[in-house]
Amino acid sequence: MPTRSWLQSWLCITEVKRLVTKRSKAAIFTLVIVAAMLALPSAQSLPGGISGVQQSGCNCHGAVPSESVSASIEGLPESYNYSEVYELTVSFQGGPSQEGNINQGGFHLWASEGALSVNDATAQVYNENEVGHTDAGNDQVSWSVTWTAPATDKNVDFVLHVNSVNGNADGAGGGTSGDMWNKVVITLGGPIEVLEAANPFVVLGVLIIVSASLLAITLAYVFYRKDPEAFEWDNFAPWLADWLTSTDHKKIGTLYFVAGLFFLGVGGIMAMIIRIQLAVPGNDFLTQEQYNQFFTLHGTTMIFLAAMPMINGFANWMIPLQLGAADLALPRINAMSFWLQPFAALLIFTGVFSGHGADTGWTGYAPYVVSEGAHYGTTMWAAGQIMLVASSTLTGINFLTTMAVMRAPGMGWMQMPLFSWSILVANVMLFLSIPAFGVGLIQVYLDRVVGTAFYDIAAGGDPLLWSHLFWYFGHPEVYVVIVPSFGIISEVIATSSRRSVFGYRSMVYALAGIGIVAFIVYGHHMFTSGMSPTLRFVTMLTTMLVAVPTGIKIFNWLMTMHGGSLVYRTHTLWALGFLVTFTLGGISGMFFPSIAMDTHLHESYFVVAHFHYVLVGGTVFGFFAGIYYWWPKATGKMLSEKLGVLHFLTAFVSYNALFWPMHRLGVWGMTRRHHTYFVTTEEALGSLPMEAAGWNMFITVSGFLFFFSNFIMVFNMIVSSVRGEDAPDDPWGGWSFEWMTTSPPPAHTLYRLDDGSWGLPTLKDANEHIANEPGLLSSWFQRLMVSDDEIEEASH
Amino acid sequence: MSGDHHPSAWGPHDWRHGAPHNSWSPFILSLGVAIFLFTLAGAFKFGEFQGWGSVPLIFVGLGVIGFSLLVWWRQDMSFGVDGEVFEPKSAGAPFQNIDIRKVAMWMFLMSEMMVFTSLFSTYMRYRFGIPNCQTVFESGEWVEGTSVTCFEPAGHLIASSWFHIAPGAINTFALIISSFTIVQALRYAKKKDMDEDVRRRKVTRYLGTTWLLAILFLTLKMIEWFVGFPLPEFLHEFNHGDSSIKSLYAEGYLINADSYQHHAYDTHYIEAHPDDYSIPEDSALYAMMQAGTHPGGHMMANIQVSATTFYVTTGTHGAHVLGGIVGLTYMTLKAARGGYTPDNAVSIEYFGLYWHFVDLVWVLVFPFFYLY
Repeated sequence: MPTRSWLQSWLCITEVKRLVTKRSKAAIFTLVIVAAMLALPSAQSLPGGISGVQQSGCNCHGAVPSESVSASIEGLPESYNYSEVYELTVSFQGGPSQEGNINQGGFHLWASEGALSVNDATAQVYNENEVGHTDAGNDQVSWSVTWTAPATDKNVDFVLHVNSVNGNADGAGGGTSGDMWNKVVITLGGPIEVLEAANPFVVLGVLIIVSASLLAITLAYVFYRKDPEAFEWDNFAPWLADWLTSTDHKKIGTLYFVAGLFFLGVGGIMAMIIRIQLAVPGNDFLTQEQYNQFFTLHGTTMIFLAAMPMINGFANWMIPLQLGAADLALPRINAMSFWLQPFAALLIFTGVFSGHGADTGWTGYAPYVVSEGAHYGTTMWAAGQIMLVASSTLTGINFLTTMAVMRAPGMGWMQMPLFSWSILVANVMLFLSIPAFGVGLIQVYLDRVVGTAFYDIAAGGDPLLWSHLFWYFGHPEVYVVIVPSFGIISEVIATSSRRSVFGYRSMVYALAGIGIVAFIVYGHHMFTSGMSPTLRFVTMLTTMLVAVPTGIKIFNWLMTMHGGSLVYRTHTLWALGFLVTFTLGGISGMFFPSIAMDTHLHESYFVVAHFHYVLVGGTVFGFFAGIYYWWPKATGKMLSEKLGVLHFLTAFVSYNALFWPMHRLGVWGMTRRHHTYFVTTEEALGSLPMEAAGWNMFITVSGFLFFFSNFIMVFNMIVSSVRGEDAPDDPWGGWSFEWMTTSPPPAHTLYRLDDGSWGLPTLKDANEHIANEPGLLSSWFQRLMVSDDEIEEASH
Repeated sequence: MSGDHHPSAWGPHDWRHGAPHNSWSPFILSLGVAIFLFTLAGAFKFGEFQGWGSVPLIFVGLGVIGFSLLVWWRQDMSFGVDGEVFEPKSAGAPFQNIDIRKVAMWMFLMSEMMVFTSLFSTYMRYRFGIPNCQTVFESGEWVEGTSVTCFEPAGHLIASSWFHIAPGAINTFALIISSFTIVQALRYAKKKDMDEDVRRRKVTRYLGTTWLLAILFLTLKMIEWFVGFPLPEFLHEFNHGDSSIKSLYAEGYLINADSYQHHAYDTHYIEAHPDDYSIPEDSALYAMMQAGTHPGGHMMANIQVSATTFYVTTGTHGAHVLGGIVGLTYMTLKAARGGYTPDNAVSIEYFGLYWHFVDLVWVLVFPFFYLY
């Protein structure tokens, strides 16, 4: 019972500490006095029994216990079973007691828990947990009693007092003089499986509720700090209603961030629970069923409820600012995109709260996803994601329209900042791919609810159809979450290098190239599904093609730094960290297009290592860089550089310690999505070498370090909000439009123009002056368009 | 709640001030969608009705969605009230001087195209990947009493008689005509040299006609799916002697039809009615029937996938028509109050873009699912 003894010893330590650290000697002195008084002789031994016995002692037949008397209880187990009945034999040896005497001895037994009863007339019951001998039992040295164990887990103390009597009942020799007594204390533990293993869902639920309560308290605190005088419900309700109904891109951006960071934490908790399970081989912290739900929801949460909202948070905040626009093109649609997400999250998690969460993996492969064997939460998982698809579609419409129509006058496509470009490319990809996923999910939802037969094998349904619909979306999706990070890194590296980004045009073409290639590579997720060898070969080539635009970007970033002079701010450190980890992730990614390699590494931890290197080392590091970069702009407060560097160092080191060994485990053959693994010294199929256990423990420890190191950033944010110094308009020396407004920008964004006035900018107000000649494609496209003004003039 | 030009998150806005405004609509709409999806899954599991418990809640969900749409529209009502319209124009290339919302509508239609592309992909995968029921039947490789999995196109039933295809055919023309009427509504709304009252009546009439045609479309679809219709007596002989056209439901063309039977797949019926149904003389089944060794009378078929693709694809299109009806209801009422002037006629154009798209999709759905 490792959990229990750990808990006990911990309690013990705190108890001792509490006593030791208590400086009040008077209190200790009092305690000693009380103990001494309790130990004072207070009982009379009479033939009818020993009375007045306490756990602390008894003088009985003498002031001090005699060592020559030894008491014993037979029939006690090492640990009891709940409610079981035990026959105990109480006896003593030694002392003046002699065979044949009228009076030989007596006993008194006290049990802290359970119930004591007697079997014959030689013993009597004082109360439920106290028995002693009777007059009739005075001529014996052993008695038999019955103890019924308690029904719950308790530590039971037995205190047995015995008298060894010399037989002078007539009072000769001073009544009880010459008698001797002694006592024995026996402590008994409960059954081995005393504490039920903590239910991980309860853990998760409690943690979610705790974080949500913290969020609510923070909310109240933020409101309190706004104006401590006006801290009452009548003021709070409209303030809250304003957040719930706002269509302001800045407020919605903030809401996206709060939601994204919250679910990043929830997904992180799930990852930690998964890692606890995998820390040692053959662990049973999670059952297989629970493990399946945890990795499913970890994936779904991280991709759809953490990464995507954070991208939208950055885009909401920065796209209108970078384009020099007042707001997004469709503000109310924007609010719609956001509010679909919390309700979708509720649907996705309903299964968890009932203990039947989706257990299909975030890929939700058919036909399991539509089978009755899949947990019922799968239906709600699909329903929630249908709402997320609707949200993403609306977001796509909004951002594409915004970027197409609301760039500042004079800003051509090729003058758009790279972050805006990355959001444009990401949204084109998302927008064109996500309807396929949405249709697939609707099919799954209908199959599970209405009873249609899209993926019913018996009716001829084709599971591979789901794979195609899913991965047609799924592969562009993973680029959708990495490409905005490219944009952030481009901004950060250019600003930190104090120069414009090297090879702007090639950067844009590389982004667009990634956007196009994304749609023709998804077959590499299905190499082992039995697809046509020709298609596999084609997909292999196209997948390898991905390295070209990505490589162009990496080298452009390196050249930007090479030609500039680097300022090592926190966001710069994260950008540099991104370059290292993302490149490593990209290289491990190049193992997968090779069909033979892929077949070998498929479903192994190598895959886990790869996509965490690009999704955490790429996407999340990019987000961190973006948070440190734009936080002063959005809040008007500076973040602490010291805490930032500390966050980077701890997180970067623990991150690599967390994911790098996974490559090794994957090559050894550790499979992903399996709830446990076994190690052996023999070379056997499906088993891992002995070192794998140590590495898994190492990964778990590093995982916890990485998890907690990110709270440094949360702490940094709180400290900055409470007492951060005010940020200047352009703390880092950035050039794009967002640095031309105040920090934080007003609700109706106004920019400081070239002539010193405030208003909406044109490109000539930016520091870079490039003629806005429409390019070849653009002018050709423009010729096809008839402007609405011209139509109007013609109709007059 | 700073500033004085967005007084209520429920009521009309003065849009000339631009963003930001406050609105309860997105929050409530999302809540409604969540309630609807949650309770629908509570009422049915794998096609089995779970009792009436959550059925009222489904309607609560729909009600919440409807309420949020009312809030949404109420905020738009102030559009053009003072004769002034907030219709922002695009600034940059390539959409210079194009209305922003028109660009957004085109973007939306792009994603709608992908939705129907995915549905058609599913259809094609199954249509060409699963052997056709007619082919299986003619091959004679089936046994009476056991079900074969095969693809039975709805068109096989529907296109088997002129009367059966009538609802679909009328629907096609209804949609095409409605595309014309919506353009007429836009034309009159845009006309500047026109009496206010005449314009109001014309726009209302054309929008109302579009609304009626859309209602007709859905009504005929329900008749075709669930109701069927009787035929006058003199037409019976053109309908295999049957007195009515059965609905697809009555024909057993259902998503749970794992033992579908039809007299086109009944050798006895074919022998008895050689004029109605015939099988090619070079087919295996024909040879078997001649030799008297054919596998039996009825071929039973598992056509769940065929029915699923048919109902879901045409149903998705129907849902788009329903969405159009909801929009048209609002527009017709607004037009009747004289809400459309040349200044804000563009919103009819935005709806028209969507409506043409729905029409266009039907032009693809009809041959794929009804004729072929």
